[in-house]
Amino acid sequence: MRALTDYLHMNVTPGEAGNYLWATIYILVIFALVSVAVMLMTWLERKVMAHMQVRLGPMRVGPHGLLQPIADALKLILKEDIVPAGADKVVFWLAPVSVMMIAFTTYLVIPFGRTHAVTDMNIGILFMLGVSSLGVLGIIMAGWSSNSHYPLMGSLRSSAQMVSYEIAMGLTIVSAVLMTSLQNGTGTLSMIGIVESQFAQKTWFVFSGWGLGFIAFVIFAIAMIAETNRAPFDLPEAESELVAGFHTEYSGFRWSLFFLAEYTAMIAVSSIAVTLWLGGWLRPFPNALSSGTWDLVFSLIPGVVFLVIGVVCLWMSMRMPSILKFQKMGFGAFAALIVVIGLVMLLPGVRTRVQDIFWFAAKVTLFMYLYIWYRATFPRYRFDQLMKIGWKVLLPTSLGVLIMTALWGVLR
Amino acid sequence: MGGVAVSLAPVLRKIFLVDLIKGMSVTFRYQDPKELQTEQYPMERPVIAERYRGQPRLGVNPDTGETLCIACDLCALACPEKLITIKSERNPVTKRKEVKSWTYDLSRCMFCGLCEDACPSDALELTQDYEMALYSREGMLLDQKMLERGQTPKVYTK
Amino acid sequence: MSERFYDDVATAEQPGEKTFLDSSELVLNMGPQHPSTHGVLRVILKLDGEKVIGSECVIGYLHRGVEKIAENRTYAQFAPYVDRMDYVAAVSNALGYCEAVEKLLNTEAPPRAQYIRVILTELNRLASHHVWLGTHALDIGALTPLFYTFRDREEILKIYEKYCGARLTTHAFRIGGCIYETYEGFEKEVRDYCDFLLPKIDEYEELLTTNRIWCERTKGVGILNGDDCKALGVTGPVLRASGVKWDLRKAKPYSGYDKFEFEIPTGKNGDTYDRYLVRIEEMRQSVKIIRQAVDGLPEGPIMAKIPKVLKPPVGEVYHSIEAPKGELGYFIVSDGSTQPYRVRVRPPSFVNLQALDKMIKGQLVADVVAVIGTLDIVLGEVDR
Repeated sequence: MRALTDYLHMNVTPGEAGNYLWATIYILVIFALVSVAVMLMTWLERKVMAHMQVRLGPMRVGPHGLLQPIADALKLILKEDIVPAGADKVVFWLAPVSVMMIAFTTYLVIPFGRTHAVTDMNIGILFMLGVSSLGVLGIIMAGWSSNSHYPLMGSLRSSAQMVSYEIAMGLTIVSAVLMTSLQNGTGTLSMIGIVESQFAQKTWFVFSGWGLGFIAFVIFAIAMIAETNRAPFDLPEAESELVAGFHTEYSGFRWSLFFLAEYTAMIAVSSIAVTLWLGGWLRPFPNALSSGTWDLVFSLIPGVVFLVIGVVCLWMSMRMPSILKFQKMGFGAFAALIVVIGLVMLLPGVRTRVQDIFWFAAKVTLFMYLYIWYRATFPRYRFDQLMKIGWKVLLPTSLGVLIMTALWGVLR
Repeated sequence: MGGVAVSLAPVLRKIFLVDLIKGMSVTFRYQDPKELQTEQYPMERPVIAERYRGQPRLGVNPDTGETLCIACDLCALACPEKLITIKSERNPVTKRKEVKSWTYDLSRCMFCGLCEDACPSDALELTQDYEMALYSREGMLLDQKMLERGQTPKVYTK
Repeated sequence: MSERFYDDVATAEQPGEKTFLDSSELVLNMGPQHPSTHGVLRVILKLDGEKVIGSECVIGYLHRGVEKIAENRTYAQFAPYVDRMDYVAAVSNALGYCEAVEKLLNTEAPPRAQYIRVILTELNRLASHHVWLGTHALDIGALTPLFYTFRDREEILKIYEKYCGARLTTHAFRIGGCIYETYEGFEKEVRDYCDFLLPKIDEYEELLTTNRIWCERTKGVGILNGDDCKALGVTGPVLRASGVKWDLRKAKPYSGYDKFEFEIPTGKNGDTYDRYLVRIEEMRQSVKIIRQAVDGLPEGPIMAKIPKVLKPPVGEVYHSIEAPKGELGYFIVSDGSTQPYRVRVRPPSFVNLQALDKMIKGQLVADVVAVIGTLDIVLGEVDR
C-alpha cells in the first residue's frame, strides 16, 4: 500500500524510483492503451483514406463505423488457423509472436510525460533503435518458415529494405543527440533527457541549427516510413505485385498479430520522431509563454478539446435518422462518455498530469495522419529504386547533416 | 544570373519535394464533405432515367383491365435470345388474336430493349425497376400475371 | 504447346543433378486470377532473378463464342452482343458494327445521327480512358486516382442512361442511324460535362505527371519503338506514343469526323510515360471534338431508310474505326440472307497484347504489371 501511495508524491518515472508495482501498472496500462490506439488507428486509416478518395468508408457497423475494428478483430480470431504442410511449426508460431513482442518492448522507454514512462534508461534511444532492429529477425523467420518461395523472397526484400533505412535513421538520431550537448557540453541518450534539453535550449530541435534540425527530421520521417513498410515503400506487402509478402501463409489471428505489430511499430517510430525533434510532451511555447495564465490556458486545452469533440458527436447523433435507433443510442452514449472525460480533464488535479500525455498523443496522431495521407497519395516505388534512395540519397544526406551539425555545435 | 536562377528551379523543386506536396494538396482538398460521392444504398436510392431498361412489364388498359398485347409475336421474333414465348388463339367473334400464355425468361435476358422497340402497341415496356434479385431460379420465368403485376418486393424494416 | 516453355528449366531426377533452386531461371505464373491483369489473363514469366527473360500469354478464359453467335442471329439482333466485347467502351463497338453493316448495305446514316454518334463515341473514349487511368494508377500503387476517375465517369454513364437506358451495355445505335432522339437537356448536360471535366484532367495531371515516383516507375519502362509497332500491328495510343502519327479518324474519316478540328497527340520514346501523356492529351482533344459536335448539331432525321428485314447483298466488307484502345475492325461476309455468314472482329487489345513479350523482355517483375496496364487491354475483347 505504501508503495502505491509513496510513488504518487515523487516526480520521477517508476523505473527510476525503483517502484516495481507502479512499473508493472504502467506496463499494463501502456499495453492496453496502445492496443486500443492501434485498433482506433485501423478505423482512422479506413475513414481518412476513404474521405480522401471522395467516399465514406465504414458506416454501417457502428455509427460511422466505430465498431468496425471490433468486427474485424472478431472475424480474424474466429478464422480457421491454417498452417502450411511443410512449414516449420515452431518457427511458424514464433514469428508473429516475436514481431509483436519486439514492437511492444520499444514502449518501455517512450516518455509520454516527465513521469509517465515505465523507466528512463540513460541509453534510451539506443535501446529503442536496437530493439526495433530485432523486428527484422521476426520477418525473416516468418518468410522462411512458410516453406514457399513467394513469402521467402518477400521477407528477404522486406528485411533488406528495413536494414538499409535503419542506417539513415541511426545517423539522423545521432545528429539529434549531438544537439542535446549544446547546453551543458555533455549530451544524453536518455529520451527524457533529450526532451528536457529541448526545454532548456528553449527550442524544439526541428527548428534549431539553421535548418539542420529540419533536414534531419525530414530524413528521419522518410526513413521511418520505409522502416515500417508503408506506402510509398510498401512493395513487399503490396497486393498487386507478384510476390505477396512475408505474411502470405498466415491467416486469421496470426496475420492480425503481424498487422497490429506493423501499426505498433508505426506508433513507436513516430514517438521517436516526436521525442527527438518535436519536443516530446512539451506544450507549444513552454518557455516563451510561461506565465501562470498561459500555463492555465494551455492546461485547459486538452479538456476543452475532448468536450468539443463530445458535443459535436452528441449533435451528430441527434441528427442521425431515427431508423437507426440502436446506433443513435450507442453513438450518443459514446459522445456522453467523451464529454464526461473532457469534464474530468478540466479538474485541476487531473489536468496538470494529463496535459503532457495529451500533447504527446496529439503530435503522434499528426504523424499517423501523415502516414495515411502518404498512402492515399503516392504510387509505390519499385524495389531497386527504393534501395537506391536508401543508400544513395538518404545515407549521404544524413552523413552530411551529421557533420554539419557537429561543425555548427563546435562553432557556437 | 537569370540563367542560373532558371536552371536552379528544377533542382530546388526536386530538393523541396514540390511535386509530392502538390499531389498531397489534391488529396487533402477532396476531404471536403461536399465532395463525397457515396450513395448509402438502402437509405438513398439513385435517380433512374426515364428510358432505363429494367424489369419488363406487360401493360393493361387502365379502364377495362384488359391486356394491351395483341399477340402479334413481333417481340418474340425480335429477341436475340428467343426467351419470349407467346401462345395465342384466334377469337372467332372478334376475329382478333388473343393471348393464351405469355412467358418471359428473365434469366437469359440481356435487357437490350429490342422487344420493347418491336412492340407496336406499347404493351411491353422495360420499366425502371432494377432490383430483380431472387432466391430461386424458377422465379425468373415470368408469366403473364407476374408481368402485369410487376415486382412485389419484400419490404424489410431497415 | 506451353510444355516447350518449361522444358529448359531443370528438374532434379537423380541426386547430383541441379534442382530448380540451382537453376538460374524461374518460371512464374501470373495466374488468371490476379488483381492486376485486368481480367482473366494468364502470363507465364521466365525470370532470371528479378529480370524477365521471356513470357507467354495464355488467353481464352473469357471466350464466349461471340463470332459464332453472330452466324445465328440477324444483323439487328447481333448488335447487343457487340457491346459485350469491349465492355468498358461499348458505344465504340456498336459504332463500328453499325457502320460496317451500313457499308454493306451501301447506305449512310443521316447527318444528325452522325453527329449524335460522334458525341456519344467521344464520350465513350473519355470513359474508357478514365478506366484506364484509374486502374493503371492503381496497379502502380496510387490508390486515389481510381476513385476520382470513376467519379467523373459516373457523369458520362448518367448521360448514357438518360439517352439509351443503360449505363454500360448501351445498345445505343441501330443499323442506319440512331433510334433514340436526344432527350431534353442533352446538349446542356454534355456541355456542362465538358466544362466540368477539363479542370479534373488538370488535377489528374497534378497528382501524377510531375510526381517523381510516377516518373521513375513509368519512364523507360516498356519501350516499344515505331518499327516494332508497325511490324506487330499495334494500333491506338500505343502506336501514337511510339512516334507514328496514325489515327483512323484523320486517315480514313468515318461518321463525319472530317468535319471536326482536332489534333493527334504523339509521343517520342514509346515508353509508359509517353503513353500516359498521349492518352491524357487524347482526353482533352475528345472534349474539343464533343464541344464542336454539340455546337454544330444539325436538325433532321436520325434514321436512314432501310428495309425492316435486312437482307444485305452478297459480299464482304471490312470497316474499322478508332476505338479508344486501337483499331477496331469488323469483317462481315454476307450470303444474302438475314443472318451474316461470318463476322470477324479485329479487337485492338488482342493485337496489342502480342507486343507484351517484346515490351517486358529485360524489365523487372514489378514492371510487368505496369506494362499490362499501359497496353490498356480488356479481356472481353481479347477473348471475345
